[in-house]
Amino acid sequence: MGRPRGWAVAAAVGFVRACAVAAVTLLVPAVWAGAVALGIHWGAGNPWSWLLPLILVGTGTLALSGPVCRAVRFLVARWTGTDLPAGHRRPGPVGRLSTGYWWNGFSYERSRRDALLDQKWRIRWSDPATWRDLRFTAIAPFTAGLVAVLPPAGAAFAVLGLSGAGPAQRLAGVLALLLAVGSAPYAWRPVEPVAVRFLRPSPAMALADRVGELTAQRADVTVAQAAEIRRIERNLHDGAQARLVGLGLSLATAERLMDTDPEGARALMRDARTGAAASLAELRELVRGISPPVLSERGLADAIRALALDVALPVDVDVDAESGGVGGFPRLEAPVESAVYFGVAELLTNVVKHAGASHARVALAAGRDGSGAVAEVRDDGGGGAGFEAGGGLDGLRRRLAVFDGTLEVTSPPGGPTRVRMTVPCAFS
Amino acid sequence: MRVLVAEDLYLLRDGLVRLIEAYGHEVVATAATGPETLDALRTWRPDVSVIDVRMPPTHRDEGLRAALDARAEVPGLPVLILSQHVERLYARELLADGSGGVGYLLKESVFEAEQFVDALERVAGGGTALDPAVIARLLSAGSPARGLERLTEREHTVLALMAEGLSNQAIGRRLFLSEGAIGKYTTSLFGKLGITDDQDGNRRVRAVLAYLEKT
Repeated sequence: MGRPRGWAVAAAVGFVRACAVAAVTLLVPAVWAGAVALGIHWGAGNPWSWLLPLILVGTGTLALSGPVCRAVRFLVARWTGTDLPAGHRRPGPVGRLSTGYWWNGFSYERSRRDALLDQKWRIRWSDPATWRDLRFTAIAPFTAGLVAVLPPAGAAFAVLGLSGAGPAQRLAGVLALLLAVGSAPYAWRPVEPVAVRFLRPSPAMALADRVGELTAQRADVTVAQAAEIRRIERNLHDGAQARLVGLGLSLATAERLMDTDPEGARALMRDARTGAAASLAELRELVRGISPPVLSERGLADAIRALALDVALPVDVDVDAESGGVGGFPRLEAPVESAVYFGVAELLTNVVKHAGASHARVALAAGRDGSGAVAEVRDDGGGGAGFEAGGGLDGLRRRLAVFDGTLEVTSPPGGPTRVRMTVPCAFS
Repeated sequence: MRVLVAEDLYLLRDGLVRLIEAYGHEVVATAATGPETLDALRTWRPDVSVIDVRMPPTHRDEGLRAALDARAEVPGLPVLILSQHVERLYARELLADGSGGVGYLLKESVFEAEQFVDALERVAGGGTALDPAVIARLLSAGSPARGLERLTEREHTVLALMAEGLSNQAIGRRLFLSEGAIGKYTTSLFGKLGITDDQDGNRRVRAVLAYLEKT
């Protein structure tokens, strides 16, 4: 692509973008201008001439500030990749009490509809994000909007001037055209810094978000743990405990029969022995699911090596030798080790079940600051892995989030798939 | 035989000592921690030791480490590891030096007292005794090691029984074949795994090791 042609493309794209920015940011001032025009049109004698425009300006600004800010966020994210979180407060649950009234977190209402409506307005008024959006709506037209309007305005004047009769008009038209073309590639750009400056959540809002996130995670963890404990309890109750009762019974009966029927007693003893072996096998499976013995005995690297040996396809395990520690890897806090181990186990299970791979590779390294861990599982399978809501990868991501860990998946159709888990360190 | 028993739980240690003595062997020493075990192995050089994997002070893999350290000093010192769970990784580490005299069994294998003492005697004689559970997990993992994919199904079966520690005669009895036929199978599978002439006992260990290895 030649330089002039590249520049022409940039100018054309810039022109369209500038028009979009101008349209979005100048929407609210357009409403204001309309209201003022209405007031002038009705004249000073009419009491409505100032009241109605005032109402129009107020409601118009309030109603449009949300959509305008959403549009700006969308355009900035799309053009520059800068992600601006909105950070609006989310409404809490609305529930009916035994008295028949509805509680929405603020007040009691007679009906669900009233409760929701009341909640909506209270949240809207008390949410700092609403006021921040309003402020941006007022600032944007006089900053980004003014600059972005240059190319379209220049183009309009050029059309007017060039179609005019006199040489002075034509000269003005040519100048306007030059201005429009010259500013086209750049005029939309100020919208990004302005949006970053005025649309970012404030520290207080970021903090409130973090608290919300942590609350949700805590709920997740608590529920998961309670379920896990119930599973263990049920397994013990129905498995090993029941078998031990049976064992005691067999032995008691055998003791009774010792003198009268030694042959029967011997058979019962044999039963008791097989029962004991079976309950041991059950307990072993249960223990493996709670915390794999190799993990407690040897730590993460060897546990993952042992895991790789049990997978139904060849798995290479690379442990970053720089990490040091036993088995070439430092011991981490138990919860982190456990999270990474079960994460790798789940990923390898996925590889066997879904990928159709012939070979997988696990790479394990300590975190940069010597705490935490990075584990990467690669396979040469068909690809196409992704985060379905409620799917395995999504669950894994949520479990890692508890440690501020992340899960990155690259899995183009046709493979290869690469899943990277990062757990910085626990409980920071 | 002179036997060492290393196990931290008194009840189990006592039970093992009784069992071994009931079969007419002598328990020369007992140990309850990793360091004690290593000392006892060095001091007594027992004909065979029964060692628990997890022991004080750290409750990690003290017993296994003591066994590996002792075998590094005294190659082929017979040890039989007892554990609540079996890991292929540990089996591989124990067999890695290729000198045999290694056992790795689940704790409940002592319920079958006869077979347990049998395994103990085999290990003392320089053979191997791997728990069928290790073998079962190998078979279910279904990813063959280098050379293993060239084995016929029958050779696979023979190799699995060999890994459990059975002699050709015992394998023959298990498969209703003559000892000579089993000999043919073992020779052919040694060839396929590229394991050549040295003493048969060590060849068996190396075949089992090949079986435990995964590419």
